[in-house]
Amino acid sequence: MHSSISLNISNLWIERGERYLCKDMSFSLSGGDICKINGENGAGKSTLLKIIVGILSPLEGTVYYNGEDVSIHRDLLHQDVLYLGHNSAIKSVFSVAENLRWYFPNASDEAIAYALSVVSLSGYEETPSSQLSAGQKRRITLARLWLTDKPLWLLDEPFTALDVQGVSSLEKRMRDHISNGGLIILTTHQDIDASLNVKEINLTL
Amino acid sequence: MSWTWFHKLGSPKWFFQFASRWSLGVFLSGVVLLLIGLVWGLAFAPEDYQQGNSFRIIYIHVPAAILAQSCYLGLGVAGFVFLVWQMKMAPIFIKSVAPLGALVALIALVSGAIWGKPTWGTWWVWDARLTSVLVLFLLYMGVIAIQNSLEDKILADKAVAVIGVVGLINLPIIKYSVEWWNTLHQPATFKLTEKPAMPMEMWLPLLISSLGLYLFIAGLAMLRMQTEVLNRERRSSWVKEEVLKNGI
Amino acid sequence: MTYFSFTKGELLTLLRRKQDTMNALIFFLMVVILFPLGVSPSPEFLSVAAGGIIWCAASLAILMSVEGMFKEDFNDGCLEQWLVSGLSLPVLILLKVSIHWLIVIVPLLIMAPILAQMLFLPMDIFYVLLQTLILGTPALFLIGTIGSALTVSLRHGAVLMLLIIIPFYLPVIIFSTGAIRAAQSGMLYDGQIAILAAISLASLVVSPIMSAISIKASVS
Ligand SMILES: Nc1ncnc2c1ncn2[C@@H]1O[C@H](COP(=O)(O)OP(=O)(O)O)[C@@H](O)[C@H]1O
Ligand SMILES: [Mg+2]
Repeated sequence: MHSSISLNISNLWIERGERYLCKDMSFSLSGGDICKINGENGAGKSTLLKIIVGILSPLEGTVYYNGEDVSIHRDLLHQDVLYLGHNSAIKSVFSVAENLRWYFPNASDEAIAYALSVVSLSGYEETPSSQLSAGQKRRITLARLWLTDKPLWLLDEPFTALDVQGVSSLEKRMRDHISNGGLIILTTHQDIDASLNVKEINLTL
Repeated sequence: MSWTWFHKLGSPKWFFQFASRWSLGVFLSGVVLLLIGLVWGLAFAPEDYQQGNSFRIIYIHVPAAILAQSCYLGLGVAGFVFLVWQMKMAPIFIKSVAPLGALVALIALVSGAIWGKPTWGTWWVWDARLTSVLVLFLLYMGVIAIQNSLEDKILADKAVAVIGVVGLINLPIIKYSVEWWNTLHQPATFKLTEKPAMPMEMWLPLLISSLGLYLFIAGLAMLRMQTEVLNRERRSSWVKEEVLKNGI
Repeated sequence: MTYFSFTKGELLTLLRRKQDTMNALIFFLMVVILFPLGVSPSPEFLSVAAGGIIWCAASLAILMSVEGMFKEDFNDGCLEQWLVSGLSLPVLILLKVSIHWLIVIVPLLIMAPILAQMLFLPMDIFYVLLQTLILGTPALFLIGTIGSALTVSLRHGAVLMLLIIIPFYLPVIIFSTGAIRAAQSGMLYDGQIAILAAISLASLVVSPIMSAISIKASVS
């Protein structure tokens, strides 16, 4: 069970390439929530995630994590966050298992084997990542979700590389996560299982 | 101490209005002083007893060399201010001043070469000052190159600020190393601009032309910065008002 | 990610990509060979110029090997993960440069005595060369890292990086070759060695901070 966490977005203005992506947006989330960011292609979904995680800065406004201004106390957020961006962040010189070990040096062999089996990569442990397809690399990245103990997940289009079975395992994992008090913000074009009680944020400008 | 001037200076709007009032005046007084200094120095100041008339090039060379250094110093300070306080005017200053700095460095190099011909018999000698100015010129080229290469404007601003700060730290080291290297290689007989006990009639025009060049470049820099401010702030309401009121 | 797993990963990457390091070393060798062939093979010229030749070649080789340091991390998205890992970015950068330095400098020092022989550098002067290489090359790596971080988002940033970084290499090259020259003429060279160490120490403080700023600005 995670201790209770909260994320508050207050009066956020985002500008990218001389275009406003959102004006004066505010919302609050707390542990147990799943939040889905909606918007067309190029609406700024990925940009919003990057701003929340502190890779980009907003034009105006503040992101508060557990009540602390993230632009000042970035460490507090980064201790708790797992961010999966567009890029898979997989090193091609490493084998599949080595890539996961890079992120989770203390994970047991069994845990890694289990995480890989969920994303249907069993038996690929020792394969060099350079020999995998883009979709397979993406699934290694997703395997991190079964190894992590971070409470806050920011997922940019997590479902894209998954088949039907993979999608339902991921939905199950997300359900477990929020029932443990975790918080998930994600972007996707897919409809998510209605029983997950998804909150929606729309980016329409 | 009051910091309002610092915040004002950081506001593009305030700067624009300040500069519209002053830039032309600064520029013109620079031109006048520069002309007085140069005519005085080139035509009326007494001849040097060792070098004859060729020494007169220092009335161009020295102001240019000093200014080339000052501009880089300014660049470095602006870079620091930008990295620490994110002041909006700092990258505008860097972007506007870098080409001017490169220009004065080039003037210093060319005038040094012209001075070298009658004095040393060659256009180029690895004199400490000339070499430092050459390196300075290359540093400016680096700043300009990175500003132009990076498409992302925010990144370009950060990058020139970083280069500026690294340059600021390195400038004294580079200068010292070049001077030290120079003494190692050639005990120069004639040093460009080493004038112990210059008489007043000689250094007064030098002072005037230096001041003139400072103001001249400052005026140009302000004009360039104004353009840059307008360009960057073109979507803000005060720029629209400004353009409606006064035209472009 | 922990500092330890990061360091281990970097080490593993460099060891598996041996060829990249090899290329830099071969490049170093080739630049050195250019001088006897291009200028003069006479022992009188070479023994005087050896320090300068080796230093110029080493500077270029180091620039080459540092240039692409963050490229792959940038392209595959790992730099983003560094930023959100909760670890200190300057420390990560410092770890990465240190490993790069170790992996390049060790073979370079092994090659040095052979080159010194080929360039007719006397043994006692060779020890001075070694000292300057050990104390001066950290500065070259650290300063080069700033350039590498600044140009990481550019597809063809190599030439631009050389352009902005080489002027900052001058003091290191001047004092290193100055120390060697002083030793050759039988003078004391402690001063130059101390300055080299000071420059490397200063770079150790400045470079990770500046590189971190550049990387943060580049990742977006
Ligand atoms: N590196 C960039 N520089 C400038 N503008 C960008 C950059 N990346 C994306 N953008 C702009 O930001 C907008 C939002 O992009 P993004 O957040 O990736 O959209 P989404 O994820 O919703 O498809 C796009 O319209 C795009 O034009
Ligand atoms: Mg996107």
